[in-house]
Amino acid sequence: MTWYSPPGVTWIRVSPRLATARLICWWAVALPVLAAGIVLGLNGGAWWALPAGVLVLALWISWIIVRQVSAHAWVEREDDLMVRRGRIFRRVTVVPYGRMQFVDVASGPLARAFGIARVQLHTASPGSDAHIAGVPAEEAARLRDRLTTRGEARLAGL
Amino acid sequence: MTATPSVAPREWTRTHPVTPFIHVIRTVFALMAVYAIEVTQRPEEGGTLPGFVLFAIACGAIAIAIGWAAAEWRVNLYRIGDDAVYHKHGIVFHQHRQARLDRLQAVDIIQPFIARVFGFADVKIDVAGGRESNVSIKYLKLEDADALRNEVLALAAGYRSEHPGAAGGVGGAVAVPVPVGATPSPTANAASPVAVPPRVPVVAASERVLYRVPGGRLVGSILVSWSAIALLIVAAVTWMIVGAIGDEATSSQDFGSTGGGVTAMIVWVISLGTVLWAQLNNNANFSAGIAADGIRLSHGLLDTRRQTVPPGRVQALVVKQSLLWRGFDWWKVSLNVAGYHEQKQETVSTLLPVGTRQDALDAVWLVLPDLGDPDPAGTIATAMVGSRAENGFTASPTRSWIFDPLQWWRRGVKATDRALLIRKGWLLREFYVIPHERTQSLAIRQGPLQRLLGLATIEVHSTRGVIRPVAAHLALEDAIALIEDQARRAREGRARQTPEQWMAAVTG
Repeated sequence: MTWYSPPGVTWIRVSPRLATARLICWWAVALPVLAAGIVLGLNGGAWWALPAGVLVLALWISWIIVRQVSAHAWVEREDDLMVRRGRIFRRVTVVPYGRMQFVDVASGPLARAFGIARVQLHTASPGSDAHIAGVPAEEAARLRDRLTTRGEARLAGL
Repeated sequence: MTATPSVAPREWTRTHPVTPFIHVIRTVFALMAVYAIEVTQRPEEGGTLPGFVLFAIACGAIAIAIGWAAAEWRVNLYRIGDDAVYHKHGIVFHQHRQARLDRLQAVDIIQPFIARVFGFADVKIDVAGGRESNVSIKYLKLEDADALRNEVLALAAGYRSEHPGAAGGVGGAVAVPVPVGATPSPTANAASPVAVPPRVPVVAASERVLYRVPGGRLVGSILVSWSAIALLIVAAVTWMIVGAIGDEATSSQDFGSTGGGVTAMIVWVISLGTVLWAQLNNNANFSAGIAADGIRLSHGLLDTRRQTVPPGRVQALVVKQSLLWRGFDWWKVSLNVAGYHEQKQETVSTLLPVGTRQDALDAVWLVLPDLGDPDPAGTIATAMVGSRAENGFTASPTRSWIFDPLQWWRRGVKATDRALLIRKGWLLREFYVIPHERTQSLAIRQGPLQRLLGLATIEVHSTRGVIRPVAAHLALEDAIALIEDQARRAREGRARQTPEQWMAAVTG
């Protein structure tokens, strides 16, 4: 038993386009730093170590982003929604439909360009922190409607 | 009961006309103090403004403050309906708020010292749902405040009535308001078969006090605390420094820096003293009881607060014992209530400020009359002082010592039929009690080192408040079993939980 994955559930992975979007964000920061490092490195001496270090770091973080996105998944069970996240620090959140207060679907300009959205579930607890990033946009709308319907059917008092 | 019984208003009503004066009285005192300082210092300082100008400025400021408060009071209106309490206020920004009674979490009657002196109170109605969803109606005469609370609780409990006092007229001695379905008093029927009967106030549900905190024990518990010890040390050090300065004052020229140190010390003393005073002021005369409309808490020395938390509204409990209290076997119990996150958290979240082991058991009983365990006292005792796998607890394995060298043997969980108990802490002993039906959501998490050791942590999400229960570093297979079972238990708990209108099931 390596990690929590109840028998008989099939995890739905988030869209790999999320990885692309996050990589773009990351490299938008990393590239200028790298360029600055290269300019410094052209001066000779030991400065070449700087851009090399930046490059290694940027590649490592890129790898982490890809791994994280491939670990991010959700599954709708009969009574609750499970969200799986993280590789090094991993976490599975179980949110019963009856506990959902409301569901948000949000997408920024980059996410819209990639046709993905972030589905955020809210319960009465600040600790729940159940969100699914990178759900394909049309699936996100359907997921929200489904969750809302199920939530209403099972809604319990606090 | 008073001679003229108060009834909560069904039409828009202003709060008591004294409200603006209570609101500004602190400002007035502050202005008077400033004025007094200004006037007394004039001889030495040689003030720049003539005395009458100062006086005029002070009077003008007070007049403006009162005028503004009065204008606010004029637009501050409230009323109750069958389903909600409505409140609107604000001059610049209008705000119209309704607190839905089916979401009611608690009703507090708060009396700040000044309001209390004159017999006025603030009624705070806490409902679940987002920030800023609570309604605070201030200030009302105490009996009006009581009437409002009683009627709000009766309506929220599910007593449906155009005139919920149908039974209140029977001498005012009835313990619990009788629902509409009950036989109406014959005289009322004869007097007005068609016309709306006069509205009669809802009588407060009778209350049975379960425990009180004696003043001596409270003072003792405050003196035997880390804050008090810190205060003593700081005060002693300050005393010695002051003494040293006294000796050296004539010889040394280095007074400035030491003086700064002393000032900082005095600030420390004052702030620690404030902490201790706040504990005394909040928790003096503490009593807890049970009534048909919920748990009743009453406490406060100068500022008093009477809380009513209807049945099933307590989301979680924590029972704690500091190392210093161990010799006395004193315990403190705090709770989470959904509407209580915007207020002074410590003040409202206390179920038992300090009590014996029996008091702590009573406090847990108050929230969970049925712990769902064959031996509740034994199980709670194990949660209080036990360790490892005693008495059916699932303990964190020995290999988790690396995370918790000082408490790993105390970490453990046990699920009864009704609640989950999570135990931890050696120097500061504590355990959480979370009723299954109150679990919001669950999470299991694991970091890299935990993964290496085959451990995982379970989070149980409660509503916003002082309690955030976590069962850390369980063996992975125990953690997985726990999250599976707990999800099932929470589902079953929700299925049988108290209805939102907790008396509706009884009265039909």
